Amino acid sequence: MGFVEALRQRLNQNPFKGFFRLNRLRPPGAVAEDHFMELCIRCSRCIEICPYDSIRRADIYASLQIGTPYIYAEDKACYLCMKCPPVCPTGALDTRLRKGEEVAIGKAVIDQDLCLNYLYVKEEESGKVTGMATICNTCFNACPLRDKAIVMEKFLLPVITEECVGCGICVEKCPTQPRRAVNVVPTGMIDEKSSGYYYRRNRVRQSQPEGDRGAVSGEELLERKEQISTFGETPQFKSDFSTDGSMEGWE
Amino acid sequence: MFQRIGFYRRCAQLLTLLAIFIIPLLNLYEITFVKGTFYSMDIGDVALADPLAVFQAMFTSRTISLIMLASMVVPVFLVVLFGRVWCSWFCPYYLFTEAVAWGRSRLSVFGIKPFTGRYREGSTSRQNIIRYLVLGVGLLLAGIAGIPLLNLVSAPGIISSQALILVKFRTVSFELVFILFILVLEFFFFKYWCRLFCPTGSFLSLFQGRRGLKVKKIELECRSCHTCIRSCPMQINPMTEGDNPMCHNCGICIDACPDNHKQPTLGFRFR
Repeated sequence: MGFVEALRQRLNQNPFKGFFRLNRLRPPGAVAEDHFMELCIRCSRCIEICPYDSIRRADIYASLQIGTPYIYAEDKACYLCMKCPPVCPTGALDTRLRKGEEVAIGKAVIDQDLCLNYLYVKEEESGKVTGMATICNTCFNACPLRDKAIVMEKFLLPVITEECVGCGICVEKCPTQPRRAVNVVPTGMIDEKSSGYYYRRNRVRQSQPEGDRGAVSGEELLERKEQISTFGETPQFKSDFSTDGSMEGWE
Repeated sequence: MFQRIGFYRRCAQLLTLLAIFIIPLLNLYEITFVKGTFYSMDIGDVALADPLAVFQAMFTSRTISLIMLASMVVPVFLVVLFGRVWCSWFCPYYLFTEAVAWGRSRLSVFGIKPFTGRYREGSTSRQNIIRYLVLGVGLLLAGIAGIPLLNLVSAPGIISSQALILVKFRTVSFELVFILFILVLEFFFFKYWCRLFCPTGSFLSLFQGRRGLKVKKIELECRSCHTCIRSCPMQINPMTEGDNPMCHNCGICIDACPDNHKQPTLGFRFR
Protein backbone atom coordinates (compact mmCIF):
# COMPACT_ATOMS: atom_id res chain seq x y z
CA MET A 1 0.00 0.00 0.00
CA GLY A 2 1.40 3.32 -1.05
CA PHE A 3 1.68 6.35 1.12
CA VAL A 4 -1.19 8.18 -0.53
CA GLU A 5 -3.41 5.15 -0.17
CA ALA A 6 -2.57 4.85 3.52
CA LEU A 7 -3.20 8.55 4.08
CA ARG A 8 -6.50 8.34 2.25
CA GLN A 9 -7.67 5.40 4.32
CA ARG A 10 -6.56 7.01 7.56
CA LEU A 11 -8.08 10.43 7.03
CA ASN A 12 -11.25 9.50 5.19
CA GLN A 13 -12.34 7.39 8.11
CA ASN A 14 -12.22 9.81 11.02
CA PRO A 15 -9.37 8.57 13.22
CA PHE A 16 -10.97 10.11 16.30
CA LYS A 17 -14.05 7.91 16.19
CA GLY A 18 -14.28 4.51 17.79
CA PHE A 19 -12.58 1.32 16.78
CA PHE A 20 -13.95 -2.18 16.53
CA ARG A 21 -13.46 -4.87 19.12
CA LEU A 22 -15.21 -8.18 19.53
CA ASN A 23 -17.63 -8.47 22.46
CA ARG A 24 -17.32 -4.78 23.30
CA LEU A 25 -20.80 -3.42 22.70
CA ARG A 26 -22.66 -0.15 22.90
CA PRO A 27 -25.81 -0.04 25.05
CA PRO A 28 -29.08 -1.11 23.36
CA GLY A 29 -30.54 1.43 20.98
CA ALA A 30 -27.20 3.05 20.18
CA VAL A 31 -27.05 4.77 16.80
CA ALA A 32 -24.22 3.99 14.36
CA GLU A 33 -20.81 4.39 15.94
CA ASP A 34 -19.60 7.58 14.24
CA HIS A 35 -22.93 9.28 14.99
CA PHE A 36 -22.86 7.91 18.51
CA MET A 37 -19.48 9.48 19.20
CA GLU A 38 -20.85 12.83 18.04
CA LEU A 39 -23.90 12.64 20.28
CA CYS A 40 -22.64 10.97 23.45
CA ILE A 41 -21.82 13.63 26.05
CA ARG A 42 -20.44 11.02 28.50
CA CYS A 43 -23.05 11.88 31.12
CA SER A 44 -23.08 8.30 32.53
CA ARG A 45 -26.83 8.21 32.88
CA CYS A 46 -27.21 4.86 31.13
CA ILE A 47 -24.51 3.56 33.48
CA GLU A 48 -26.44 4.86 36.47
CA ILE A 49 -29.78 3.39 35.44
CA CYS A 50 -28.47 -0.08 34.49
CA PRO A 51 -29.76 -2.48 37.18
CA TYR A 52 -27.35 -5.28 36.21
CA ASP A 53 -24.13 -3.17 36.22
CA SER A 54 -23.65 -4.30 32.62
CA ILE A 55 -22.82 -0.87 31.20
CA ARG A 56 -19.41 0.44 32.20
CA ARG A 57 -17.60 3.71 31.69
CA ALA A 58 -14.70 3.34 29.26
CA ASP A 59 -11.30 4.11 30.73
CA ILE A 60 -8.09 5.50 29.22
CA TYR A 61 -7.54 2.27 27.21
CA ALA A 62 -10.33 3.39 24.89
CA SER A 63 -8.32 6.56 23.99
CA LEU A 64 -10.71 9.33 22.92
CA GLN A 65 -13.74 7.20 23.70
CA ILE A 66 -12.92 7.55 27.39
CA GLY A 67 -16.07 8.11 29.38
CA THR A 68 -18.45 6.60 26.86
CA PRO A 69 -20.59 3.60 27.85
CA TYR A 70 -19.62 0.07 26.88
CA ILE A 71 -20.94 -3.40 27.59
CA TYR A 72 -18.17 -5.96 27.94
CA ALA A 73 -20.16 -9.04 27.01
CA GLU A 74 -17.56 -11.48 28.33
CA ASP A 75 -17.94 -10.08 31.86
CA LYS A 76 -21.58 -9.09 31.92
CA ALA A 77 -23.95 -9.05 29.01
CA CYS A 78 -26.96 -6.84 28.37
CA TYR A 79 -30.15 -8.36 29.78
CA LEU A 80 -32.41 -6.23 27.58
CA CYS A 81 -34.35 -4.61 30.42
CA MET A 82 -34.57 -1.51 28.17
CA LYS A 83 -34.16 1.02 30.95
CA CYS A 84 -31.24 2.90 29.39
CA PRO A 85 -32.60 4.16 26.04
CA PRO A 86 -35.24 6.49 27.57
CA VAL A 87 -32.77 8.29 29.86
CA CYS A 88 -30.33 9.36 27.14
CA PRO A 89 -30.41 13.19 26.99
CA THR A 90 -29.08 13.63 23.46
CA GLY A 91 -30.53 10.71 21.52
CA ALA A 92 -27.26 8.80 21.23
CA LEU A 93 -29.46 5.91 22.33
CA ASP A 94 -32.75 5.79 20.47
CA THR A 95 -35.06 7.16 23.19
CA ARG A 96 -38.20 5.70 21.65
CA LEU A 97 -36.96 2.12 21.74
CA ARG A 98 -38.98 -0.01 24.16
CA LYS A 99 -38.95 -3.59 22.89
CA GLY A 100 -36.01 -5.86 23.45
CA GLU A 101 -36.64 -7.68 20.17
CA GLU A 102 -36.00 -4.52 18.15
CA VAL A 103 -32.54 -3.93 19.57
CA ALA A 104 -29.61 -4.24 17.16
CA ILE A 105 -26.47 -4.21 19.25
CA GLY A 106 -24.75 -6.75 17.06
CA LYS A 107 -24.82 -10.27 15.73
CA ALA A 108 -23.43 -13.31 17.45
CA VAL A 109 -21.03 -15.51 15.47
CA ILE A 110 -20.19 -19.09 16.40
CA ASP A 111 -16.58 -20.21 16.05
CA GLN A 112 -16.94 -23.77 14.80
CA ASP A 113 -13.39 -24.67 15.77
CA LEU A 114 -14.10 -23.94 19.41
CA CYS A 115 -17.77 -24.83 19.94
CA LEU A 116 -18.02 -28.12 21.81
CA ASN A 117 -21.04 -29.38 19.89
CA TYR A 118 -19.46 -28.77 16.49
CA LEU A 119 -16.30 -30.50 17.71
CA TYR A 120 -18.33 -33.49 18.86
CA VAL A 121 -20.09 -33.82 15.53
CA LYS A 122 -16.77 -33.63 13.72
CA GLU A 123 -15.43 -36.32 15.99
CA GLU A 124 -18.45 -38.52 15.41
CA GLU A 125 -18.32 -38.12 11.64
CA SER A 126 -14.67 -39.08 11.59
CA GLY A 127 -15.59 -42.27 13.44
CA LYS A 128 -13.48 -41.64 16.49
CA VAL A 129 -16.35 -41.91 18.95
CA THR A 130 -19.73 -43.55 18.94
CA GLY A 131 -22.52 -43.63 21.44
CA MET A 132 -23.68 -41.22 24.05
CA ALA A 133 -22.37 -37.81 25.05
CA THR A 134 -23.66 -34.88 27.03
CA ILE A 135 -23.96 -31.97 24.68
CA CYS A 136 -23.54 -28.34 25.56
CA ASN A 137 -26.75 -26.38 25.12
CA THR A 138 -25.62 -23.37 27.10
CA CYS A 139 -26.04 -20.66 24.48
CA PHE A 140 -29.38 -22.06 23.33
CA ASN A 141 -30.72 -22.15 26.88
CA ALA A 142 -29.34 -18.77 27.91
CA CYS A 143 -30.66 -16.90 24.88
CA PRO A 144 -33.57 -14.55 25.72
CA LEU A 145 -34.96 -15.17 22.22
CA ARG A 146 -34.72 -18.93 22.53
CA ASP A 147 -35.57 -20.89 19.40
CA LYS A 148 -35.70 -17.62 17.49
CA ALA A 149 -32.21 -16.17 17.62
CA ILE A 150 -30.44 -19.46 18.21
CA VAL A 151 -31.87 -22.65 16.72
CA MET A 152 -30.46 -26.13 17.14
CA GLU A 153 -29.79 -27.73 13.80
CA LYS A 154 -30.21 -31.51 13.95
CA PHE A 155 -31.01 -30.90 17.66
CA LEU A 156 -27.28 -30.55 18.14
CA LEU A 157 -25.63 -27.68 16.33
CA PRO A 158 -26.41 -24.12 17.47
CA VAL A 159 -27.02 -21.75 14.56
CA ILE A 160 -27.51 -18.00 14.89
CA THR A 161 -30.39 -16.59 12.87
CA GLU A 162 -31.18 -13.06 11.71
CA GLU A 163 -33.32 -12.53 14.82
CA CYS A 164 -30.21 -12.16 16.99
CA VAL A 165 -30.10 -8.77 18.74
CA GLY A 166 -26.56 -9.13 20.00
CA CYS A 167 -27.24 -8.90 23.73
CA GLY A 168 -24.21 -11.08 24.44
CA ILE A 169 -25.74 -13.37 27.07
CA CYS A 170 -24.52 -16.40 25.11
CA VAL A 171 -21.00 -14.93 25.18
CA GLU A 172 -21.18 -14.44 28.92
CA LYS A 173 -22.34 -17.99 29.53
CA CYS A 174 -20.26 -19.85 26.91
CA PRO A 175 -18.15 -22.42 28.77
CA THR A 176 -15.09 -22.45 26.48
CA GLN A 177 -12.30 -20.54 28.16
CA PRO A 178 -10.47 -18.26 27.76
CA ARG A 179 -11.65 -17.61 24.22
CA ARG A 180 -15.39 -17.94 23.74
CA ALA A 181 -16.83 -20.12 21.01
CA VAL A 182 -19.53 -17.52 20.41
CA ASN A 183 -18.71 -13.85 19.98
CA VAL A 184 -20.79 -10.77 19.24
CA VAL A 185 -19.74 -8.59 16.33
CA PRO A 186 -21.15 -5.13 17.10
CA THR A 187 -23.18 -3.50 14.35
CA GLY A 188 -22.67 0.12 13.43
CA MET A 189 -18.95 -0.29 13.85
CA ILE A 190 -17.04 -1.71 10.97
CA ASP A 191 -17.19 -5.47 11.22
CA GLU A 192 -14.61 -8.13 10.66
CA LYS A 193 -15.57 -8.83 7.05
CA SER A 194 -15.49 -5.28 5.76
CA SER A 195 -12.52 -4.69 7.97
CA GLY A 196 -11.30 -1.18 7.62
CA TYR A 197 -8.84 0.89 9.51
CA TYR A 198 -10.46 0.31 12.89
CA TYR A 199 -10.30 -3.44 12.72
CA ARG A 200 -6.69 -3.58 11.66
CA ARG A 201 -5.69 -1.27 14.45
CA ASN A 202 -7.62 -3.41 16.86
CA ARG A 203 -5.85 -6.56 15.69
CA VAL A 204 -2.48 -5.00 16.39
CA ARG A 205 -3.61 -4.08 19.88
CA GLN A 206 -5.07 -7.44 20.66
CA SER A 207 -2.37 -9.74 19.32
CA GLN A 208 -1.11 -11.84 22.17
CA PRO A 209 1.00 -14.98 22.08
CA GLU A 210 -0.97 -18.20 22.54
CA GLY A 211 1.00 -19.84 25.26
CA ASP A 212 0.08 -22.31 27.90
CA ARG A 213 -3.04 -20.43 28.91
CA GLY A 214 -4.07 -19.39 25.42
CA ALA A 215 -6.95 -20.92 23.51
CA VAL A 216 -6.50 -24.13 21.60
CA SER A 217 -8.70 -25.24 18.76
CA GLY A 218 -9.21 -27.93 16.15
CA GLU A 219 -7.02 -31.02 16.28
CA GLU A 220 -5.09 -29.84 19.31
CA LEU A 221 -8.28 -29.39 21.32
CA LEU A 222 -9.49 -32.84 20.26
CA GLU A 223 -6.25 -34.38 21.47
CA ARG A 224 -6.50 -32.58 24.74
CA LYS A 225 -10.08 -33.73 25.19
CA GLU A 226 -9.14 -37.33 24.51
CA GLN A 227 -6.77 -37.22 27.43
CA ILE A 228 -9.61 -36.38 29.81
CA SER A 229 -10.58 -39.46 31.76
CA THR A 230 -13.84 -39.94 33.60
CA PHE A 231 -12.02 -41.86 36.29
CA GLY A 232 -9.72 -40.44 38.89
CA GLU A 233 -9.75 -36.79 39.74
CA THR A 234 -12.82 -34.77 38.99
CA PRO A 235 -12.09 -31.75 36.84
CA GLN A 236 -12.21 -28.35 38.53
CA PHE A 237 -14.44 -25.76 36.97
CA LYS A 238 -14.31 -22.07 37.66
CA SER A 239 -17.68 -20.84 38.89
CA ASP A 240 -18.71 -17.72 40.71
CA PHE A 241 -21.41 -19.31 42.78
CA SER A 242 -21.46 -21.83 45.61
CA THR A 243 -23.83 -24.74 46.11
CA ASP A 244 -24.94 -26.31 49.33
CA GLY A 245 -23.60 -29.77 50.06
CA SER A 246 -27.03 -31.17 50.79
CA MET A 247 -30.51 -29.99 49.98
CA GLU A 248 -33.69 -30.56 51.88
CA GLY A 249 -35.82 -33.29 50.40
CA TRP A 250 -33.04 -34.63 48.19
CA GLU A 251 -31.05 -37.67 49.09
CA MET B 1 -25.25 41.12 57.01
CA PHE B 2 -21.59 40.43 57.56
CA GLN B 3 -20.42 36.94 56.41
CA ARG B 4 -23.97 35.84 55.75
CA ILE B 5 -23.64 35.24 52.02
CA GLY B 6 -20.48 33.20 52.53
CA PHE B 7 -22.27 30.90 54.98
CA TYR B 8 -25.20 30.20 52.64
CA ARG B 9 -22.82 29.72 49.72
CA ARG B 10 -20.72 27.19 51.61
CA CYS B 11 -23.90 25.33 52.62
CA ALA B 12 -25.02 25.15 48.99
CA GLN B 13 -21.57 23.92 47.90
CA LEU B 14 -21.40 21.23 50.57
CA LEU B 15 -24.93 20.07 49.79
CA THR B 16 -24.00 19.78 46.12
CA LEU B 17 -20.90 17.80 47.01
CA LEU B 18 -23.05 15.52 49.15
CA ALA B 19 -25.64 15.21 46.38
CA ILE B 20 -23.18 13.81 43.83
CA PHE B 21 -22.74 10.82 46.15
CA ILE B 22 -26.31 10.60 47.44
CA ILE B 23 -27.99 10.63 44.00
CA PRO B 24 -26.19 7.50 42.68
CA LEU B 25 -26.78 5.82 46.04
CA LEU B 26 -30.52 6.47 45.84
CA ASN B 27 -30.47 5.22 42.27
CA LEU B 28 -28.90 1.98 43.47
CA TYR B 29 -32.06 1.52 45.54
CA GLU B 30 -34.08 2.38 42.44
CA ILE B 31 -35.26 5.73 43.77
CA THR B 32 -34.98 7.57 40.49
CA PHE B 33 -36.66 10.87 41.27
CA VAL B 34 -33.36 12.65 40.78
CA LYS B 35 -30.99 10.98 38.37
CA GLY B 36 -27.94 11.86 36.35
CA THR B 37 -24.71 13.75 36.67
CA PHE B 38 -23.74 17.37 36.14
CA TYR B 39 -23.50 16.76 32.41
CA SER B 40 -27.19 16.00 32.37
CA MET B 41 -29.71 15.55 35.14
CA ASP B 42 -33.40 14.87 35.63
CA ILE B 43 -35.20 16.27 38.66
CA GLY B 44 -38.66 14.79 38.53
CA ASP B 45 -39.64 15.29 34.93
CA VAL B 46 -37.57 18.43 34.39
CA ALA B 47 -34.53 17.76 32.23
CA LEU B 48 -31.46 19.83 33.00
CA ALA B 49 -28.20 19.65 31.08
CA ASP B 50 -24.88 21.39 30.87
CA PRO B 51 -25.61 23.83 28.00
CA LEU B 52 -22.08 23.42 26.66
CA ALA B 53 -22.34 19.62 26.53
CA VAL B 54 -25.65 19.75 24.70
CA PHE B 55 -24.43 22.50 22.39
CA GLN B 56 -21.39 20.42 21.48
CA ALA B 57 -23.59 17.42 20.73
CA MET B 58 -25.73 19.58 18.44
CA PHE B 59 -22.64 21.19 16.91
CA THR B 60 -20.75 17.98 16.12
CA SER B 61 -23.72 15.88 15.04
CA ARG B 62 -25.37 18.71 13.05
CA THR B 63 -28.78 17.74 14.43
CA ILE B 64 -31.07 19.48 16.88
CA SER B 65 -33.62 17.57 18.87
CA LEU B 66 -36.36 18.89 21.09
CA ILE B 67 -35.06 17.02 24.14
CA MET B 68 -31.71 18.76 23.88
CA LEU B 69 -33.24 22.22 23.58
CA ALA B 70 -35.67 21.53 26.42
CA SER B 71 -32.89 20.46 28.75
CA MET B 72 -31.03 23.72 28.09
CA VAL B 73 -33.98 25.94 29.04
CA VAL B 74 -33.76 25.89 32.84
CA PRO B 75 -29.95 26.33 33.17
CA VAL B 76 -29.90 29.17 30.65
CA PHE B 77 -32.87 30.81 32.37
CA LEU B 78 -31.03 30.60 35.71
CA VAL B 79 -27.93 32.21 34.18
CA VAL B 80 -29.99 35.03 32.68
CA LEU B 81 -31.73 35.64 35.99
CA PHE B 82 -28.99 35.11 38.58
CA GLY B 83 -25.75 35.21 36.59
CA ARG B 84 -23.15 32.47 36.81
CA VAL B 85 -24.22 31.27 40.27
CA TRP B 86 -23.57 27.71 39.11
CA CYS B 87 -19.82 28.31 39.26
CA SER B 88 -19.56 29.93 42.67
CA TRP B 89 -22.49 28.43 44.55
CA PHE B 90 -22.71 24.84 43.30
CA CYS B 91 -19.71 23.66 41.25
CA PRO B 92 -17.80 21.02 43.25
CA TYR B 93 -14.53 21.90 41.55
CA TYR B 94 -14.84 25.51 42.77
CA LEU B 95 -15.18 24.21 46.32
CA PHE B 96 -11.96 22.23 45.86
CA THR B 97 -10.10 25.29 44.57
CA GLU B 98 -11.27 27.24 47.59
CA ALA B 99 -9.98 24.44 49.79
CA VAL B 100 -6.60 24.61 48.03
CA ALA B 101 -6.46 28.40 48.46
CA TRP B 102 -7.36 28.00 52.14
CA GLY B 103 -4.66 25.37 52.55
CA ARG B 104 -2.17 27.78 51.01
CA SER B 105 -3.16 30.55 53.37
CA ARG B 106 -2.40 28.21 56.30
CA LEU B 107 1.17 27.71 55.10
CA SER B 108 2.43 31.23 55.84
CA VAL B 109 4.92 29.83 58.39
CA PHE B 110 6.86 28.34 55.46
CA GLY B 111 7.06 31.68 53.73
CA ILE B 112 4.26 30.95 51.30
CA LYS B 113 2.02 33.97 51.01
CA PRO B 114 -1.77 33.60 50.68
CA PHE B 115 -3.32 34.61 47.38
CA THR B 116 -4.64 38.10 46.83
CA GLY B 117 -6.42 39.39 43.78
CA ARG B 118 -4.10 41.09 41.31
CA TYR B 119 -6.47 43.43 39.57
CA ARG B 120 -4.98 45.88 37.14
CA GLU B 121 -6.48 48.31 34.69
CA GLY B 122 -7.67 46.32 31.65
CA SER B 123 -6.86 42.89 33.08
CA THR B 124 -10.54 41.94 33.07
CA SER B 125 -10.94 42.25 29.33
CA ARG B 126 -7.65 40.39 28.84
CA GLN B 127 -8.97 37.50 30.95
CA ASN B 128 -12.22 37.53 29.00
CA ILE B 129 -10.35 37.36 25.69
CA ILE B 130 -8.27 34.39 26.88
CA ARG B 131 -11.20 32.33 28.10
CA TYR B 132 -13.41 32.97 25.09
CA LEU B 133 -10.42 32.12 22.87
CA VAL B 134 -9.96 28.84 24.77
CA LEU B 135 -13.67 28.09 24.37
CA GLY B 136 -13.61 28.92 20.67
CA VAL B 137 -10.52 26.85 19.92
CA GLY B 138 -11.97 23.98 21.95
CA LEU B 139 -15.22 24.08 20.02
CA LEU B 140 -13.27 24.19 16.75
CA LEU B 141 -11.25 21.14 17.73
CA ALA B 142 -14.41 19.35 18.84
CA GLY B 143 -15.94 20.10 15.45
CA ILE B 144 -12.89 18.80 13.59
CA ALA B 145 -12.71 15.60 15.63
CA GLY B 146 -16.49 15.17 15.58
CA ILE B 147 -16.51 14.39 19.30
CA PRO B 148 -17.72 16.57 22.22
CA LEU B 149 -14.07 17.02 23.21
CA LEU B 150 -14.65 19.77 25.78
CA ASN B 151 -16.56 17.30 27.95
CA LEU B 152 -13.23 15.63 28.57
CA VAL B 153 -12.06 18.75 30.44
CA SER B 154 -15.36 19.77 32.04
CA ALA B 155 -14.46 19.60 35.74
CA PRO B 156 -17.92 19.46 37.41
CA GLY B 157 -19.16 16.79 35.00
CA ILE B 158 -16.08 14.64 35.46
CA ILE B 159 -16.21 14.94 39.25
CA SER B 160 -19.88 13.97 39.46
CA SER B 161 -19.57 11.07 37.01
CA GLN B 162 -16.50 9.81 38.87
CA ALA B 163 -18.53 9.97 42.09
CA LEU B 164 -21.21 7.94 40.33
CA ILE B 165 -18.90 5.12 39.28
CA LEU B 166 -17.19 5.28 42.67
CA VAL B 167 -20.53 4.62 44.35
CA LYS B 168 -21.71 2.06 41.82
CA PHE B 169 -18.55 0.12 40.93
CA ARG B 170 -16.21 1.22 43.77
CA THR B 171 -13.62 2.29 41.24
CA VAL B 172 -12.60 5.46 39.47
CA SER B 173 -11.30 5.98 35.96
CA PHE B 174 -8.42 7.93 34.48
CA GLU B 175 -10.36 11.19 34.19
CA LEU B 176 -9.83 11.77 37.90
CA VAL B 177 -6.08 12.06 37.25
CA PHE B 178 -6.80 15.10 35.11
CA ILE B 179 -8.84 16.69 37.90
CA LEU B 180 -6.07 16.05 40.43
CA PHE B 181 -3.52 17.49 38.01
CA ILE B 182 -5.32 20.80 37.49
CA LEU B 183 -6.09 20.90 41.22
CA VAL B 184 -2.39 20.64 42.10
CA LEU B 185 -1.65 23.51 39.73
CA GLU B 186 -4.28 25.56 41.59
CA PHE B 187 -1.79 25.75 44.43
CA PHE B 188 0.57 27.85 42.31
CA PHE B 189 -1.82 29.78 40.03
CA PHE B 190 -4.77 31.34 41.79
CA LYS B 191 -8.09 29.99 40.38
CA TYR B 192 -6.51 29.82 36.93
CA TRP B 193 -8.85 27.09 35.72
CA CYS B 194 -12.08 28.85 36.64
CA ARG B 195 -10.82 32.24 35.47
CA LEU B 196 -9.19 31.38 32.18
CA PHE B 197 -9.84 27.84 30.99
CA CYS B 198 -13.09 26.29 32.24
CA PRO B 199 -15.17 25.88 29.05
CA THR B 200 -18.41 25.35 30.98
CA GLY B 201 -18.07 28.65 32.83
CA SER B 202 -17.11 30.55 29.69
CA PHE B 203 -20.08 29.15 27.84
CA LEU B 204 -22.46 29.99 30.69
CA SER B 205 -21.26 33.59 30.78
CA LEU B 206 -22.28 33.98 27.13
CA PHE B 207 -25.85 34.11 28.44
CA GLN B 208 -25.14 36.78 31.06
CA GLY B 209 -26.88 39.91 29.90
CA ARG B 210 -27.06 43.44 31.24
CA ARG B 211 -30.06 42.51 33.37
CA GLY B 212 -30.29 40.10 36.24
CA LEU B 213 -28.66 39.80 39.64
CA LYS B 214 -25.50 41.93 39.77
CA VAL B 215 -23.03 43.14 42.37
CA LYS B 216 -23.52 46.87 42.63
CA LYS B 217 -21.98 49.72 44.55
CA ILE B 218 -25.02 51.24 46.22
CA GLU B 219 -23.38 54.02 48.21
CA LEU B 220 -21.36 56.19 45.89
CA GLU B 221 -18.94 57.26 48.62
CA CYS B 222 -16.79 54.63 50.30
CA ARG B 223 -13.44 54.74 52.06
CA SER B 224 -11.74 53.25 48.95
CA CYS B 225 -9.85 50.62 50.92
CA HIS B 226 -9.93 48.23 47.92
CA THR B 227 -10.62 45.23 50.18
CA CYS B 228 -13.21 44.02 47.70
CA ILE B 229 -10.68 44.07 44.84
CA ARG B 230 -8.14 42.12 46.86
CA SER B 231 -10.73 39.55 47.91
CA CYS B 232 -12.22 38.99 44.44
CA PRO B 233 -11.46 35.43 43.23
CA MET B 234 -12.02 36.44 39.61
CA GLN B 235 -9.52 39.31 39.93
CA ILE B 236 -11.90 42.04 38.81
CA ASN B 237 -13.04 45.27 40.39
CA PRO B 238 -16.43 44.57 42.03
CA MET B 239 -17.22 48.26 42.44
CA THR B 240 -17.30 49.00 38.72
CA GLU B 241 -17.37 45.64 36.95
CA GLY B 242 -20.28 43.91 38.66
CA ASP B 243 -22.02 43.46 35.32
CA ASN B 244 -18.94 42.02 33.61
CA PRO B 245 -19.36 38.39 32.38
CA MET B 246 -16.31 37.58 34.48
CA CYS B 247 -18.30 38.13 37.71
CA HIS B 248 -19.94 34.98 39.04
CA ASN B 249 -21.92 36.47 41.95
CA CYS B 250 -20.06 34.67 44.71
CA GLY B 251 -20.61 37.57 47.15
CA ILE B 252 -17.13 37.36 48.67
CA CYS B 253 -16.57 41.08 48.01
CA ILE B 254 -19.86 41.94 49.74
CA ASP B 255 -18.84 39.94 52.80
CA ALA B 256 -15.38 41.50 52.76
CA CYS B 257 -16.45 45.14 52.44
CA PRO B 258 -15.82 46.86 55.82
CA ASP B 259 -18.20 49.70 54.99
CA ASN B 260 -21.11 47.25 54.88
CA HIS B 261 -21.03 47.15 58.69
CA LYS B 262 -22.23 50.73 58.88
CA GLN B 263 -24.53 51.02 55.88
CA PRO B 264 -25.11 48.95 52.73
CA THR B 265 -22.33 50.00 50.38
CA LEU B 266 -21.78 47.01 48.12
CA GLY B 267 -24.57 44.50 47.54
CA PHE B 268 -26.59 42.32 45.17
CA ARG B 269 -29.20 44.19 43.17
CA PHE B 270 -31.50 43.14 40.35
CA ARG B 271 -31.11 45.31 37.33
